[in-house]
Amino acid sequence: MKITAFTQLITVLAVTTWVFLLPVPAVAIILVLELALLLYIKHDRLTMAAIGALTVFTGMMILLQLIFGSPLSVSLTGGLRMFVMTTAFLCLLAATKIQDIAQALVEKFHLPCEYAFMLTTALRFVPDFLTDSATTLDAQSCRGYSNRGNVFKRFYSYLAVVKPLVMRAVAKSDTLALSMELKGFGANTYQNMTPQRLCFADYLVLFLVMLLSLYPLWSKYI
Amino acid sequence: MIEAKAVNFAYHRGEPVINDITCKIEDGEFVALLGHNGSGKTTLSRLFMALVHPRSGDIFVDGDNIEKLEPADLAHQVGYVFQNPDLQILEDTVFAEVAYGPRCKKLSETAIKEQVQAALQAMGLENLADAYPRTLSFGQKRRLGVAAALALNPRTLILDEITNGQDEQEKDNMMDYLQKLNKEKRITIILITHDMNIARQYAKRAIVLNDGNLVFDGTTQDLYNGVRDLKEWGLTQPIMAILSAAFIISAPTVEDFCEKLCLKEGGER
Repeated sequence: MKITAFTQLITVLAVTTWVFLLPVPAVAIILVLELALLLYIKHDRLTMAAIGALTVFTGMMILLQLIFGSPLSVSLTGGLRMFVMTTAFLCLLAATKIQDIAQALVEKFHLPCEYAFMLTTALRFVPDFLTDSATTLDAQSCRGYSNRGNVFKRFYSYLAVVKPLVMRAVAKSDTLALSMELKGFGANTYQNMTPQRLCFADYLVLFLVMLLSLYPLWSKYI
Repeated sequence: MIEAKAVNFAYHRGEPVINDITCKIEDGEFVALLGHNGSGKTTLSRLFMALVHPRSGDIFVDGDNIEKLEPADLAHQVGYVFQNPDLQILEDTVFAEVAYGPRCKKLSETAIKEQVQAALQAMGLENLADAYPRTLSFGQKRRLGVAAALALNPRTLILDEITNGQDEQEKDNMMDYLQKLNKEKRITIILITHDMNIARQYAKRAIVLNDGNLVFDGTTQDLYNGVRDLKEWGLTQPIMAILSAAFIISAPTVEDFCEKLCLKEGGER
């Protein structure tokens, strides 16, 4: 059952709304379903690392809220909501090609194609940026750079390698822009995207999304 | 001295990329590390530099097992120059760029100045000390990468595809500098290259990897004898080796070959 990128985007947006509409136990169930779905789609080392990092970040966020005086229940609920929203986007990125997301944004949401392309290009270049970052760190390690020491020392050492990464990213984006122009980007004279048509599975999912989104209305009668 | 003993390695529980490799590189050697794409050359060099650690087996640098060490710990013994010079450049001047390594090692300003100037001179960049590194030509950036590694006075230099993408003049310049470092300062050079002509002309010893296995470890003269079939290892005999074998003339370069051929035929150049 393959649903289109448009339906997936709507579902993700709906999930980010549900975390504020639905009761906490329901949000927790959504989280469990999301994690199961994410691991079903992609159960590689990178996905596990992403979930691990997100868990750590959520923990830090909860801790910060507690430090600033929020009650425990509020902090935990806030952390849970953030976790669910972010995991929804992870599921979207794991299940959908970036080109399909861009096409859905342009076709169905009528976003100008330049903005849609900006989003997908940013996503497309994150792995390249991470690879460059790793290579730069390796190169500097071979010259004596070490990330040992306390958090501040390591942060200060890392600042030295951030500058070439940023400059390289700017140079890359310049080259990319030029190559796109040379291939006719922005001329608006030719469209090569195959329209994404909704099928039965899409309508079913959209119906379920709509039903759950109307929870505040029908929950009064249950 | 760098030694690998029964080293095995794989990335992230994937297919093994280094299979039971044992080799020893003595001080002062000029070694060409050869092999087809994906044969494990870069991985082996990264093992030498402790950028990755073997799944089994040991790597020794100057007699010490580097199992627990980081690349920063080895930087003063082994210098590593990556293929892409742009990813290595950090600072705003050539001098500061070369000084980065000595500064990480917290040397005194006097020592830093001395070592940087020596490194710049060794690579012919002394007149570019105040230049902005990104304005340098590709060949100059490559030499800057080598100078930056040299500034820490390592005994060994590992160079990954150092002549890739350069014109013939810059290739010759680079190799002449490396040869000078090897002969005059007895720095061990481990050169990862696809250029068979350069390997034949400059390296005395060749280590050939094929799909992670060490298939040849001997002199370049023996490897490039003009008749050995290297195709199964994804390599080819350099054209000069084939011509030299055919005419029974030992000549590393085209000029040498022509001169010796003329002399052999009793003619003049």
